[in-house]
Amino acid sequence: MSVMSGADHLHIVTSDDISPGRVRAGKLLIWGSAALMVVIALVQLGQSLGWWNAGFTTWRPTLYAYCLWATAVCWAQVLIRGEQGKRTLFVLPAALFVISLTVFPLLFGLIIAFSSWNLSSPDGRQFNGVANLVQMWNDPFYWNAMGNMVWYVLVIIVEYAIAFGLALLLNSQIRARKFFRVAFLLPLMLSPVAVSWMVGKSMLEARFGPISRLARALGVDNPSFFESPWMAKATIMILDAWTFIPFMMIMLLAGLQSIPKELTEAAKVDGAKGWKAFWEITFPLMLPVSVTAILIRIIFKLKLADIVINVTSGGPGGATDTVTSFIFREYRERSNVGYGTMLAMVYLVLIVIFMTILMKWAARYARPQT
Amino acid sequence: MKVGIYNALMGAQISRRRMLQGATALSAMAALPMTARMASAQDNIRAEILKIPGVGMGSPTDADWQKVGEMCLGATKASVAEGEFAGVELTFMGLNNQNLHNFLFRGFLTPWEAYTGAKINWIDLAQADYNSRLQQSIATGTVDFDIIEMGAPFEGDTAGKGLLDEMPDWVSAQIDESDLVGYLQPPVGTWNGKKYRITIDGDCHTFAYRKDYFGEGAIGGAEVPKTWQDVNAVSKALIGKTDPLTGLPAHGYLDPLKGWGGFGMYFIANRATAYVKHPDDPAWLFDPDTMKPRVNNPGWVQAIQDVMDLIAAGAYPADQINADPGTTAFSQFLAGTGSMLMWWGDVGSSARTSDTSVVGDVAGFGINPGSTRRYNSAAGAWEETANEAPLMAYIGWGIYVTSRVSGDEKKRKAAWSAAAHLGGKDLSLWTAAYPSGFQPYRNSHFDYAEWEAAGYDRAYVEDYLSSNADSYNHPNAAIEPRIPGIFQYYSVAEDELSKGFAGQYASAQETADAIAAAWEKITDQIGRESQIALYKASLGM
Repeated sequence: MSVMSGADHLHIVTSDDISPGRVRAGKLLIWGSAALMVVIALVQLGQSLGWWNAGFTTWRPTLYAYCLWATAVCWAQVLIRGEQGKRTLFVLPAALFVISLTVFPLLFGLIIAFSSWNLSSPDGRQFNGVANLVQMWNDPFYWNAMGNMVWYVLVIIVEYAIAFGLALLLNSQIRARKFFRVAFLLPLMLSPVAVSWMVGKSMLEARFGPISRLARALGVDNPSFFESPWMAKATIMILDAWTFIPFMMIMLLAGLQSIPKELTEAAKVDGAKGWKAFWEITFPLMLPVSVTAILIRIIFKLKLADIVINVTSGGPGGATDTVTSFIFREYRERSNVGYGTMLAMVYLVLIVIFMTILMKWAARYARPQT
Repeated sequence: MKVGIYNALMGAQISRRRMLQGATALSAMAALPMTARMASAQDNIRAEILKIPGVGMGSPTDADWQKVGEMCLGATKASVAEGEFAGVELTFMGLNNQNLHNFLFRGFLTPWEAYTGAKINWIDLAQADYNSRLQQSIATGTVDFDIIEMGAPFEGDTAGKGLLDEMPDWVSAQIDESDLVGYLQPPVGTWNGKKYRITIDGDCHTFAYRKDYFGEGAIGGAEVPKTWQDVNAVSKALIGKTDPLTGLPAHGYLDPLKGWGGFGMYFIANRATAYVKHPDDPAWLFDPDTMKPRVNNPGWVQAIQDVMDLIAAGAYPADQINADPGTTAFSQFLAGTGSMLMWWGDVGSSARTSDTSVVGDVAGFGINPGSTRRYNSAAGAWEETANEAPLMAYIGWGIYVTSRVSGDEKKRKAAWSAAAHLGGKDLSLWTAAYPSGFQPYRNSHFDYAEWEAAGYDRAYVEDYLSSNADSYNHPNAAIEPRIPGIFQYYSVAEDELSKGFAGQYASAQETADAIAAAWEKITDQIGRESQIALYKASLGM
């Protein structure tokens, strides 16, 4: 509080002696530029709605008016609040920039989401209320993909267990530890598209793929990795896990290395060894890192699309479809911009709700149990 | 010619001796008396351009494209005065696939620019970006190009919305339109009776089969299947037999059971056209009067049922449910799996040249199998009459001029002159014979003597080209609807077919009904009345 007050001379470079006239000028600047922006936006809106023709060919005048308003707001901060205003200037332009890049597109996205907009339609975008929501509610492909996502997310528990195991391995004194650390990280460095083609399409090719040959050599008569829905789902899960387990592993490894040596040594002295030491000491200490790793992994997983699009196109019969790959088909192949945007918006809301609950839950139960 | 096909033909050359024969023939022509040479000046241009850079002399370069462009400038010079378009600037939007398409156009048009004084700016697009770029330009009203390279399926999106400029009569004369193969004649390229398209390419699916599967004593029977009924019977009969080439299990026809961004629809359509494309009716996917889908009529259902029968019988290789057309052609057929396939021309070429192909010596070609009976949509009943209907999948590329130039007569003439130069008859022979990304598409391209004189192996050229020619000129060729959003219909059908093939619908009929319902939704969203009008226009009704 003292820092923010004018009485703290340590932090005041110039003494502020702001005249009422200067404050008025500042306010005029803000409201004047805001009025100009509103007027230009309204004129342009009117033109786009066909009320009148103001001769505008693009929306750029409104953009320029917004830039002018943003500049005026920043300037007015200094006029009205002097030194305090200058401090605000460190953050305000960045905040305005972020708002313009997130809030406006989000609003525009919402407008599109409540429209029927097929790029091939001669009528262009048409407001259609909640029709997209109704369509979504009755769309078996969307809910099928949503159901698949539950399975894809659940399998993260297994991924976590494997990643933890690998991290423990790499944290212990083993031969060629540095080599293995790099080697285990390699899959993460590969593009999922490359993984799709190299592994999904070539190595898993049913007849000539090396993995199929190996399976045949091991006595599997007719190996196939995408024939049955569950097999296909499992294959996609493994491909994705192979790429992203190293990511969880590296986070967990960093966590393991930050556990104070004294604690583990004290545990040893107290006679805790092996499983007991892990379960009573390491695991509880690692809970915050684990929760972070799992939450980030869930966010990654909810965006899963590239491998699915490249390897199975969502098949067989939608068994491997993800929400994102379905939206991709709806948006890109079918130019169904309005409906695709609505699906994405709903998915965003669901993710935000789901992640909020998960984080609350994690904060409650996953505090370090020391 | 597509690069792969060119390489195939090169691989098929018997020896250098063959080339020398061609060269000798040309030298002999050069030694003819002056009168005879003048009389065949046109022939000479064709023979001369085919020498650039020379068949088998490596990939043509920009210098070669410019040379060809220069030599084919005669028609332009007859209709345009030198420097007539000075000051005119045009924007050309096209593809950059395999460094062809626009790259060639630049070379071909460089001498045209030098002669006419016009300047061309280029927008190069990757194939994958093409559709979205075009659709966004249309949807946002920002068409920023004067000339566009475009496939006929997009005519509905452009001509149907008044974005194209009507072709002037002098252009049709200059490019000798009557030479186009049957299916590329109007109504393709026309809307409401107006012409818009300069064709520079042709497309069709042809039948590829393994010669070692068929013949006296062969495992597939004495005769190559001629109908889809035969194809299915043979595919079932081959279960449990051994492939004569690879020693692995033998398989029959290779249906791709997975979607391919909409393009997979062409493959179920190959089967369906034999059943549903009636010679008396140009329409086969929708009723032109109502846009009611025909995809769930008994003919289409039979096509879907045929595939389901083969799935149930276990006739396909393992994992076929995850095989798209790229897999069936390149991972399966060319690698020795399966004995029958429908595809574009690339398969014929890759069979001979691809390192992974093992079927080069045993691949044969034909047109799309027919059917012993056909479904008459108008009568609502099957007819016990044999039917054939090769599918002109994707129809081929063309050059179009946009309505941006319509108000400026000088600019308009310049745009059409540039487009006509690219679609010229002589220049097209060169694009048919050398790597260009384009297939032969004129009757004059099937003069095998010209190819032989240029140095090609006649037997292989005939084998490869005749299946195309027979499909192109088939009186009952199936041409897809050129309506807005046609690939949306294909894409959603792939999703439903995938469910049907995975056994999630009770029957072929139920699968087809689901496709029809999804198509009705798309039609309603795009606008039924406008779709009906545009479909009729595209059919020339």
